[in-house]
Amino acid sequence: MTQPLNILLIDDEIDFVETTGKRLIRRGYAAKTALTCTEGLTIIATGWPEVVVLDVMLPDRDGMDCLREIKEKWPTLPVIMLTGHASMEAGLHGLECGASDYCLKPIDLETLVEKIAIAHRESRAPRA
Amino acid sequence: MLKAMSSLFDRLTSLFCSTPRLAPAELQAAFRGHYKEFRALLTANNNALELMAEMEQALTAGQPFGMAFVRGNCTALSVNIYKMIHHLTRLADGRYAELDHPFRAITKQLEEVLASRPVSTEGAAILPMAEVDASTVDQVGEKMANLGEVRNRIGLRTPDGFVITATAARQFIEANDLQVEINRRLKGLDIDNLEELYTVSAGIQGLISNAPLPTELEEAILSHHQQLDTAPEVELLVALRSSALGEDSSNISFAGQYRTQLNVSREFVTQAYKEIVAGKYKSQAIVYRQQRGFRHQDVHMCVGCLRMVDAAISGVMYSRAPDDPRSPFVIIQAAPGLASAVVDGSAASEQLRVSRTAPHPIVHRASATEQSQTLTERQGAELATVGVRLEEHFGTPQDIEWSIDRAGLLYILQSRPLGHAVSEEVQKTTEHSATPNDLPAPLLAGGVCASQGVACGPVSTVRSSLDLLRFPKGAVLVIETPYPDWASLLNRAVAVVSETGQMAAHLATVAREFGIPAIFGIDQALATLENNSLVTVDATAGKVYVGRVEVLLTLAAPKPNLMAGSPVYKILTEALAHITPLNLTDPASPFFRPEGCQTLHDLTRFCHEKAVVEMFTFGERYGFDDKAAKQLVVENSPAQWWVIDLDDGFTPDFDPESRYVHLGHITSVPMQAIWQGMMAFPWAGPPPVSLGGLGSIIFQSTRNPSLDPGVRSAMASKNYFLISKNFCNLSVRLGYHFALVEANLGEFLTENYVSFQFKGGAADENRRLLRIRLISEILSAFGFRVEQKVDAMTARIEKKPGPYLLERLRVLGYLLIHTRQIDMVMADEGMAANYREKIMTDLHTLMDTQTEG
Repeated sequence: MTQPLNILLIDDEIDFVETTGKRLIRRGYAAKTALTCTEGLTIIATGWPEVVVLDVMLPDRDGMDCLREIKEKWPTLPVIMLTGHASMEAGLHGLECGASDYCLKPIDLETLVEKIAIAHRESRAPRA
Repeated sequence: MLKAMSSLFDRLTSLFCSTPRLAPAELQAAFRGHYKEFRALLTANNNALELMAEMEQALTAGQPFGMAFVRGNCTALSVNIYKMIHHLTRLADGRYAELDHPFRAITKQLEEVLASRPVSTEGAAILPMAEVDASTVDQVGEKMANLGEVRNRIGLRTPDGFVITATAARQFIEANDLQVEINRRLKGLDIDNLEELYTVSAGIQGLISNAPLPTELEEAILSHHQQLDTAPEVELLVALRSSALGEDSSNISFAGQYRTQLNVSREFVTQAYKEIVAGKYKSQAIVYRQQRGFRHQDVHMCVGCLRMVDAAISGVMYSRAPDDPRSPFVIIQAAPGLASAVVDGSAASEQLRVSRTAPHPIVHRASATEQSQTLTERQGAELATVGVRLEEHFGTPQDIEWSIDRAGLLYILQSRPLGHAVSEEVQKTTEHSATPNDLPAPLLAGGVCASQGVACGPVSTVRSSLDLLRFPKGAVLVIETPYPDWASLLNRAVAVVSETGQMAAHLATVAREFGIPAIFGIDQALATLENNSLVTVDATAGKVYVGRVEVLLTLAAPKPNLMAGSPVYKILTEALAHITPLNLTDPASPFFRPEGCQTLHDLTRFCHEKAVVEMFTFGERYGFDDKAAKQLVVENSPAQWWVIDLDDGFTPDFDPESRYVHLGHITSVPMQAIWQGMMAFPWAGPPPVSLGGLGSIIFQSTRNPSLDPGVRSAMASKNYFLISKNFCNLSVRLGYHFALVEANLGEFLTENYVSFQFKGGAADENRRLLRIRLISEILSAFGFRVEQKVDAMTARIEKKPGPYLLERLRVLGYLLIHTRQIDMVMADEGMAANYREKIMTDLHTLMDTQTEG
């Protein structure tokens, strides 16, 4: 990796975002956190994030709603959905709305890091 | 075929009407784009197959799993298959969109299976003890589920009562809308700041204790309580016991930290209930969950409400000594009055050691004070019988709370796995008095117990991966270091003895998963234990004996699968019926179509097959057709080989106009490894065939249309490598069998895999099966997950590092060349043995060369 990847975590579970953010930074990534969708959208608008990890349930807005807005405004920005409550319906819905992946908590950092890197790589390669 | 081609061409020319042929740069970009979709599809396929294997394994392993596991895996699986379909339609310029129909149909069926659950926190608010057992664990928590087992499945006496379930707790919290406030208070809590922690904890507990119960719930609790009141002359007193749900049940030490309230009278029952629910937010519970990554709202507090036993004597019993899981005694602590006095250590108790064998004599008594004896001989024997029975049922030593009432009736208050300090941490096995006296002197003693148990078998030492293949089923694996690689032997080994290593080693974890006894760190094992000599390994005691020691082997009882028959188990079984069966096995079959997909496995199979075909025919579709495949320039090869570069599989200096390619121009790492394996040894030619063998070939040729060159598909008639730098898909038809090797060695472990499919052969079914079995054995030894269906087999390894996979590719390359046509001689045991020996020697040499290189 030449340039550290800029990762934005949007999740209201403060323990999770903080520890995950810290651990990502320790691994050489650049990470920012947002506790609400609105806060997340503000950071995205600055053009900083290269990958977004988005919780499905947020205090201010439904995560799916948040996803839709992100993909509408920034269609090429890869978004990974993350949730503590598995639901096949929500998972498929998330992908239909343009999510790169849909993962379940708890997820070990190793797996999350790979998913982030893969989502980023796929978003940059040319499309068929 | 011709028709299909021309319609394809029409479509393409209409797509690119302005430029019927793409410019080289555009072509390259289109190809790259397709390759990207292809690679993403392969990764999703890799994930999906791994998830399916994980779910199938859960059914057989006997490890507990809940609805969260089933729902989580189904979700992850459907997400990955959705991705496969998505990438395939992009790859195929919009075709195969109709796969959405079978996919929606299957996921709908799966949703229905998952929704049919009678478990989890949806259910009755109260369950009478008569309806509680292991299958209701998702409603009543582990502690009460165990007590229900004791009462309803074993038939022992437990106090009458009922459980206020997880549903009730959730209703209570929801009715008062407490979770948001609780989460708010917990947010940002610094658990290292003790003062803050205690304040927040006390605040939340107060919040819960002071909230009113929903009227319906309160009435239900009181009405069930009323039913317990059968003797109006004495006041009914109950015990309220917490039974938490959703935490890691293996942490037994924590379970006792929640509240239990004894001697609760009717007017305080609901308040006591609320306080126990509030106990979920005790400070140490908050810290524990935070550290372990459990979400507070996923843990539910179930509460058992049980009639108090008017106890004359109470106590605790261990079905084995806690420091010696092999002991022939139960250990009983007894004191007058309530069991809680013994548990918290406040009463001076008497300790008894009672034989586990009928008639269960008391062999030792020790009193803290000069009090009279608590238990009679008969009571001691009754308790011991119960202890042994409980251990048998739960499959592991038990820690039991009991009371004997004034009428002399024995009640079981709780039974849970005995937390062997020794099995939790590194266990230094030592001499212990409890071992039967008539044991012979051990050959070896010491080390740590990496996985408990006893087993007997012949010694087989493994010093390098070369010995893997010689390892016979049922042998004792003796090694110097517990490398993770040896894990592939654990489905064949009966025990493991290693000179080095400790409990935390990966191999130890796997040994415990498989239930295979293992001793690590035992000196001189390789020098002392002779190959093929029969030994008995007692891992629990850290000893190895010569020959078969029956006394020890009878101690090792198999663990029952307690999950079998539970609702969650049934749901997983039903879900798997829509997931794993593979109906689409033959791409040439007329049923190999989107409508033929009945399971998620079918969908993965279909998508993968079509994706490979799409990549294969890309050249034809985009107009560089016959030039795409380059013939590999090789000497002394039994066949012709063609190579198609998908992305970056050729060196930059390769001339794209050339019809031939040399090995030196190939940058594909997996292809080079397969080729090394294929070319490491000259092929000995077809084996001499007996008359019977030849006859069976002719017979098969007339019956099996896939052997007729006329109906072979375009892909199968030549041997093709589809490659990129990290990827290789090789389809081979050598002799009369068809094989497919595919590998990806990417930047990320998630993308890495090697898969192998093998089908057919010319000889009769029995011989073909024998050959497949030989190949299966070899591949299992190398860590492949092998599945066999009649004469077709698939073998896969996922998510392993590159060097590990390259070694496996060399093995596959070798097997491709050297196992062809040996099916004809497989029926001859002598010759089969010779071939097996030769294959093993060759693979050893091959690995040696690679290791040295």
